[in-house]
Amino acid sequence: MSAQTGGRRYRVAIDTGGTFTDAFFFDEETGAVSVTKVPSRPDRPDEAVLAAIAAAGIGPADIRLLTHGTTVATNALITRRLARAAMICTRGHRDVVEIRDGTKPDLWDAYVDVAEPYIRRRDRFEVDERIDYAGRVLTPLDEAGVRDLARILKRRGYEAVAVCFLNSYANPAHELRCKEILAEELGPDVFLCASAEIVPEMFEHPRHSTAMINAATGPVVSRYIERLDRSLKQGGYAGDLLILHSGGGVLTAQGASRYAARLASSGIVAGAIAGAHIAGQCGFENAISLDMGGTSTDISLCFQGRIPTTQRWQVEYGYPIMFPSVEVITIGAGGGSIAWIDQGGSLRNGPQSAGADPGPACYGTGGEEPTNTDANLLLGRLGGELLDGKVRLDADAARRAIHDRVGAPLSLDDTEAAHAILRVANANMANAVKLISVGKGFDPRDFALVVFGGAGPLHGADLARDLDIPVVIFPRFPGIASAMGCLLVDIRHDLATMMLKGASNDNLDEVEAEFRKLEDEARARLREEGVAPEAMELQRSFEMRYVGQWRQLEVAVGPEPLTDLAPVLDSFHREHARAYSFEDRGRGVEIYALRVVARGVVPKPQAAPAAAGARTTPPPAASRRQVHFGAGHGFLDTPVMRREELAPGMVLEGPMVIEQLDSTVILPPGTRSEVTPDHHIVMRFV
Amino acid sequence: MALDRVTFEVLKNAYVNLVDQMSEQLLRTCYSFVIYSRDFSNCLCDAQGNTVMQGSGDIAVHVGTLHFTAKSIIERFGDDIHEGDVFMSNDPYTGGTHFCDVRIVRPVFVDGELIAFTQSNGHWADIGGSVPGSFDINARHHYGEGLRITPMRVVTRGRMLDDVIDMIVGNTRAPADARGDFLAQCEATRLGAQRLLELVAKYGKDTVLESFAACQDYVETYARQKLATLPEGSWKTADFIDQDPSKPEGLIPIVVEMTIRDGRVSYDFTGTHPAIDCFLNGTESSVFSAVVAGTKFFFPEIPLNSGFYRFIDTKLPEGSVVNAPYPYAVTGFCSGAYEKVMNAIFLLWSQVIPERALACAFNLEYLLIGGTDRRPETNGNFFMWYDWSSGGWGARHGMDGSNVTSSLFGVGLAQQSVEAQERLNPVLMHAREIAPDSGGPGRFRGGCGVVKRAQLTDIDATVMSYCCDRARSITWGMKGGQPSLPHGVTHQRNGESRNLGAVFSNVPMQAGDWFIRPSAGGGGLYDPLERDPARVLEDVIDGYVTVEGARRDYGVVIEAVDPEIDDYRIDDAATAKLRDTLRAERAGWLDVPAEEVARKLREGSMDMLTAIRRHGVICDWNDFTLLPRTTEQFRAAMRERAR
Repeated sequence: MSAQTGGRRYRVAIDTGGTFTDAFFFDEETGAVSVTKVPSRPDRPDEAVLAAIAAAGIGPADIRLLTHGTTVATNALITRRLARAAMICTRGHRDVVEIRDGTKPDLWDAYVDVAEPYIRRRDRFEVDERIDYAGRVLTPLDEAGVRDLARILKRRGYEAVAVCFLNSYANPAHELRCKEILAEELGPDVFLCASAEIVPEMFEHPRHSTAMINAATGPVVSRYIERLDRSLKQGGYAGDLLILHSGGGVLTAQGASRYAARLASSGIVAGAIAGAHIAGQCGFENAISLDMGGTSTDISLCFQGRIPTTQRWQVEYGYPIMFPSVEVITIGAGGGSIAWIDQGGSLRNGPQSAGADPGPACYGTGGEEPTNTDANLLLGRLGGELLDGKVRLDADAARRAIHDRVGAPLSLDDTEAAHAILRVANANMANAVKLISVGKGFDPRDFALVVFGGAGPLHGADLARDLDIPVVIFPRFPGIASAMGCLLVDIRHDLATMMLKGASNDNLDEVEAEFRKLEDEARARLREEGVAPEAMELQRSFEMRYVGQWRQLEVAVGPEPLTDLAPVLDSFHREHARAYSFEDRGRGVEIYALRVVARGVVPKPQAAPAAAGARTTPPPAASRRQVHFGAGHGFLDTPVMRREELAPGMVLEGPMVIEQLDSTVILPPGTRSEVTPDHHIVMRFV
Repeated sequence: MALDRVTFEVLKNAYVNLVDQMSEQLLRTCYSFVIYSRDFSNCLCDAQGNTVMQGSGDIAVHVGTLHFTAKSIIERFGDDIHEGDVFMSNDPYTGGTHFCDVRIVRPVFVDGELIAFTQSNGHWADIGGSVPGSFDINARHHYGEGLRITPMRVVTRGRMLDDVIDMIVGNTRAPADARGDFLAQCEATRLGAQRLLELVAKYGKDTVLESFAACQDYVETYARQKLATLPEGSWKTADFIDQDPSKPEGLIPIVVEMTIRDGRVSYDFTGTHPAIDCFLNGTESSVFSAVVAGTKFFFPEIPLNSGFYRFIDTKLPEGSVVNAPYPYAVTGFCSGAYEKVMNAIFLLWSQVIPERALACAFNLEYLLIGGTDRRPETNGNFFMWYDWSSGGWGARHGMDGSNVTSSLFGVGLAQQSVEAQERLNPVLMHAREIAPDSGGPGRFRGGCGVVKRAQLTDIDATVMSYCCDRARSITWGMKGGQPSLPHGVTHQRNGESRNLGAVFSNVPMQAGDWFIRPSAGGGGLYDPLERDPARVLEDVIDGYVTVEGARRDYGVVIEAVDPEIDDYRIDDAATAKLRDTLRAERAGWLDVPAEEVARKLREGSMDMLTAIRRHGVICDWNDFTLLPRTTEQFRAAMRERAR
């Protein structure tokens, strides 16, 4: 990353969603921010990225640093449109990813199965080789066998191969040699990975599963990123293309292609980061973020300022991805979710979505099925146009779709039908919010709800009322809040090595040497990515446990060379007592693994803090329209404001509609809101 | 304060979360790898001992028993229960399951009033007795099985009774680990109590107590509403344990008659065989658990607590294999009576709700190898390798059975990692892979089982034991679906093989010995000759079914054109012809003299799966000696289940 800005004055974040691709621009010279929003192109997501830049009236050459959140890996896994991939395993062990740990998420429903492995049994092969638990070679790698297998793989035309051997965490030599031979035989066009390179940790299934997912998504991700990178470079962009990963950090284009599995939740992490950040700006430590886009809603929780992360993440049950990941749940409910009547005659909402193509009926682009957007339009909650007039909405088409598909079959008038559609949509979202709040012992009444995404602010107030959440926050740029989240993160690599040694000073030299090895590799990775030495931050930690225990605790330590393990041990005992309310100082302690988190600190946009204004009333609304606020109120004559007209300190009385480029905010009757110094709206029920 | 809907919903889910937090704490701090693999459960009980909420990931086998243990503590200690006390029990005869399942129970007080108990039940890796891992199949009474802990106090008013704990852990093979597990469970119950007290502080004691009752009412109401939509009537079946080792060969019937009437379900076990002279017996509490767990599969959406037990009646004849009294051996109940009861209940409900039909699943199995580790890094250590397998579940209406899934006993019980096992034990797992042709044939195929081939490396003074069943009462199909294959372990030394059967203990092992151990697949559903040949072809490509198996079991003739690129083709004409032939012949298959089949097995002119699947012939699988009485019973059951 060059420190020179020159003409390159913009920090840009681009977040690809199911319906829209959003961009956030921060002008480093003036501190001004702006946003754009263009329809997504599921077939060519990179073109939507370029279009979002062009929409701001700038070109790639004006950008200093671009950060990108992408759903390309997630979508590939969900739709199973994966690369044609194979696995090579130790003889007798090709079924590791199918045997898994044998458990099911639903203990009691014998008709619900765990999904099949991403690589089927017919595509899993075996070779003779064996390494024991201590890393000793029992059976040498059958190199001739690997070459013969390569011939078969070539005949079958695989695009990717994962090499997954038993005990490779103890000695990766066979995996690496096998990969080398495959590279010779198959050439550079086949994506190869070895399990111990991806996750050098014990327990074969999580390691193999991660490698399997990496191989199955690798070619898809690389193709996408290479194409985007090339287009940006052709446009004059000279910086790095940074890709947001599941752990809430970024990787360079090169790293992202190699560790494709790290992107499995790239597209949804940004919203969690942005939601927590915005709630913090408004003074709330406990927040539930609801990012409702065109096709789906991502929900995350932040408690006392912290977003929970997990070491194991999965897109589908049974196939862990062993990289730290932010906890987010996604449900199929968005603006484009289709309302339909099931065989039992009951009104359903989603998970099918009209998406960007054909889009909701009111887009007039061929959609005939009623969506939440159509219902919002019919009820006056949405005006006649979106994106400042770039998309005109066809109210008649919306009315037709709702009447034909919902109203007539259920004998409801159009208004009742539209209202019923929204009630079902809100109930679905409320259940999902309960899963991560009430479902985990958090009382939603202790939280603020941050609503964003294009559709979130239309639904937020009603949802909060259903859930007894007292406060709703409407961010300044609801439609591109996720994109903004991309700007708040650093380059981050998580490295680890297994130890399984006693935590005594006898092993001190080895521990120090292993830490240094990890740090050297971490620095090398960051250096390759162009991070200056002064921007590198390395954090060491131990994973330790009492001898005989099965799980370990993380103990963070300083960067200075270790001279004595006693203080580390003491921290471990104290941490064990804090976490589990007991310690056992008489028992031996084992070092399970060493971890290094390597950050390449990326400069964050620093907007000038706005002064808190005195409380004022907003100017009179330029226009008014009839807006439906549920059965209790019916249609009310409602003022419609532009978001740009609002200033910090203004107090807004519901009912009110606030329109802006990327979203529409609904403030129902019985609420009072205030505009914060950062231009967010904080709404409370009165 | 009246309990409003939102508060009820919040509290109900907070209890789920409270119990799950106890589980998470136990998982993170336990020493027993059996507990680590999730053989545990935690619960919140009300002041009467009724279960208010059980963990969402807990295993089936503890369902329906934790309230018995809480009640046994109340019964034993009455008014002598105080704030800061903690109790322990592993007594199968007063509500427990088997000795390895050690339960820690902590009373919770508010203002001096007992309002609840938190309970943590974990499977310790060893609880003493004559065999490492405390699974002695030769035990005829509980005295050889391990230490029986009747309800007892282990912490009194906050003071740990160290002498008592010393005595208990001193009777196990790994005292330090046992103490660690005790502490971990104790702390899990403390965490649960603490979370409960936080809820009391926020919502008030009365609201919390009201919600305890409301949670149970909610479950009962939900279940009864569903029951009201089902037909009333009675259905009857039997499933079988392999044998009573002290008696001549012959299957041990467990007879179940289910009646749905007036919003209740009753299960009558009249006609069930008396208790047997080995450890596969069930007790009243463990069989009640099987009844609840079996029923729960047909009510998957309803949470579990004591409300679920209110609409179920059971009649368990005293002294029978489903209600074995003290001091009958019962440690292997999970492989014995338990899963037989569950599978029988599946068959019964499959008659009531055919679109949820479920054929028999593979049998829970445990292999225990203990001795001296002679590897250089751990030379002289005592090791105890304790392994279990997944297997196939029964075929379903419209779906094949699920492949390689944990057992019915606890689908949350995780399979262990080979890498972790090899690190801890002198064992080398040469293969752990899906067993072809193990799924019971049917229009819908049973799920596939797994086969393990392993070798002991650097050992000394080592013995092997095995706890399973269904070497004879083989995992069965329904309505024309066929059985899987027999469970059992084959021991190999210097190239010589011996089938040791599905239950044995203390077989001496030497360095370099092998054992080979398949788990069964699930039973099939409906006629295999009606299976779409295209699905058989897909199974062949994935190696779930062999080319020979396709011909034998499905009458589908498949030609391997170029296996390197998965080019297999169905010979349509040959398939049609073969299917016609099989249809014509099969009416007489179960009438072929059994001895003739056994003779062909001995001569090698017939394969074992043909003998079992077509002719219902059961032998001693080591030498193919016919078991006439067993065969007669197995054939009768095949005929009965085909209907």
